[in-house]
Amino acid sequence: MLIELLENPVCTECGLCREACPVFQIQQQEEFSPRGRAILGSAGIRTLVFYQCTLCRSCRVVCPIGHDPAGETLRAGLIEASIETPANQAMIANIREYGNPFGPLAEGEVPKTLTCC
Amino acid sequence: MQQLLSLFHPDQISIRHETRIAYSRDASRIHGECLAVVWPETIEDMIRLIGWAAETGNDLVPRGAGTGLCGGATPQNSVVIDSARLRQIGSIDIPANKIVVEAGVPLDLLNRHLKPFELFFPVIPGSHRSATIGGMIATNAAGLHAVRYGRIDEWVAEATLIDGKGIIHHLSAGDRGGIAGWEGITGMIVQAALHLTEIPQQRSLTLLCFDDLKGMLEEVAHLKANPSLSALEYINPQAAALVGWAAKHTLLAEFHSMDGKVEATIDMAAIWRARESLSARLTLAGFPISEDPQILPEAQESTLDWLAIQGIPVFGHLGVGIIHPRFLQGDPRILELYHRVSASGGQISGEHGMGLKKRQWASLAMKVKAQALKTQFDPQGVFNRGKLC
Repeated sequence: MLIELLENPVCTECGLCREACPVFQIQQQEEFSPRGRAILGSAGIRTLVFYQCTLCRSCRVVCPIGHDPAGETLRAGLIEASIETPANQAMIANIREYGNPFGPLAEGEVPKTLTCC
Repeated sequence: MQQLLSLFHPDQISIRHETRIAYSRDASRIHGECLAVVWPETIEDMIRLIGWAAETGNDLVPRGAGTGLCGGATPQNSVVIDSARLRQIGSIDIPANKIVVEAGVPLDLLNRHLKPFELFFPVIPGSHRSATIGGMIATNAAGLHAVRYGRIDEWVAEATLIDGKGIIHHLSAGDRGGIAGWEGITGMIVQAALHLTEIPQQRSLTLLCFDDLKGMLEEVAHLKANPSLSALEYINPQAAALVGWAAKHTLLAEFHSMDGKVEATIDMAAIWRARESLSARLTLAGFPISEDPQILPEAQESTLDWLAIQGIPVFGHLGVGIIHPRFLQGDPRILELYHRVSASGGQISGEHGMGLKKRQWASLAMKVKAQALKTQFDPQGVFNRGKLC
């Protein structure tokens, strides 16, 4: 079943999403959990933490009320505030200069590193 | 804080603004000031931290998954100790049906680990996806199957507690008074040996609806006489209507036998999902405050009747008398409920704990016991100040 993309903006902060989040599984810190990001977002904080969401929406699948983390919206707020990671900046500069996110590539060369936000 | 920062690897401590905000509350949404967060990985880390707190007069707040509803893990100008990196699961002692786990192990993770061995840990609170073993012990969790399996204190063979003096205690079942239900005021639980039980071979469910409360309570008594009963959950007409069900007194009875009418695993899972979503759905419907009184059988009819007349949505574990009436923030009827429950011999906190939210309602007996434990385990008041009572 495809996930319904109508967004429920309310997070009740119950914390049941933590264990479903792949980022929390790695970081094991509350600010990187879906609830933690919702708390930061509701406090009006714009932080690079939002880039750590993979946008996978696993949290929404387990959320008892189907809260959507709206990771794209939180990231959009960062873009508006010109808050970027070094990887973001390099990617944008490479696209502008070379037409690809990897930087200068020789004919037929396959990029050795993939950079993402 | 600089001294504290110097005691740990940079990955094990944070004073970042984002961290402090994210740890400023638990699921109760009661805010407090978090000075720093530490993620201990060893007992030595804990002892170092406790030594610093005792020397500098700082308050330490143990935290599991932060799913508590009474502010037990809310800091108050405190350093939070997050058990998220205490996640080791030991090998299973199959003949004894026992296992040793660290405090930060989430319940569902433990039960997934046990499933291939056809074993499980049967104390299952509504927050089972995230709730940690340490947090469950600290609140003496009951939950969805308490009518059959009781509370967690009956399933802890031994718990390792590091107290406010930095002393390690291995408290056995006979020392339960010092561990289960003391909400982190005696120290931090870092490890526990747990009893396990076999996954039931048979399982079935029945949903029952009643217009009449008295008739429903008679059925409750009848169901409780069934030795295979494994859960007995209640939803009152107001709660049922708010989540789109028929506005009736509703019972969900689960059996470890085929006595129930619903036998298909997928159908039972759908019913449990609906039941487990009630809390968050009632929050969304405008009733965010969850109470948890435990009501004696003889007072259940009058209490449930009063709640229904007041239009207060209620669900809960009626099999053990613990119900969850839901309120708006600041609803004066919360205090009326407390008075009614106390007057009828019940407890105002059946399973959520007292935390910050209910501390002024602690009984004299609880205060006396808490003071004695504090003197024994934490005379300098290092752990979770101002909680419980």
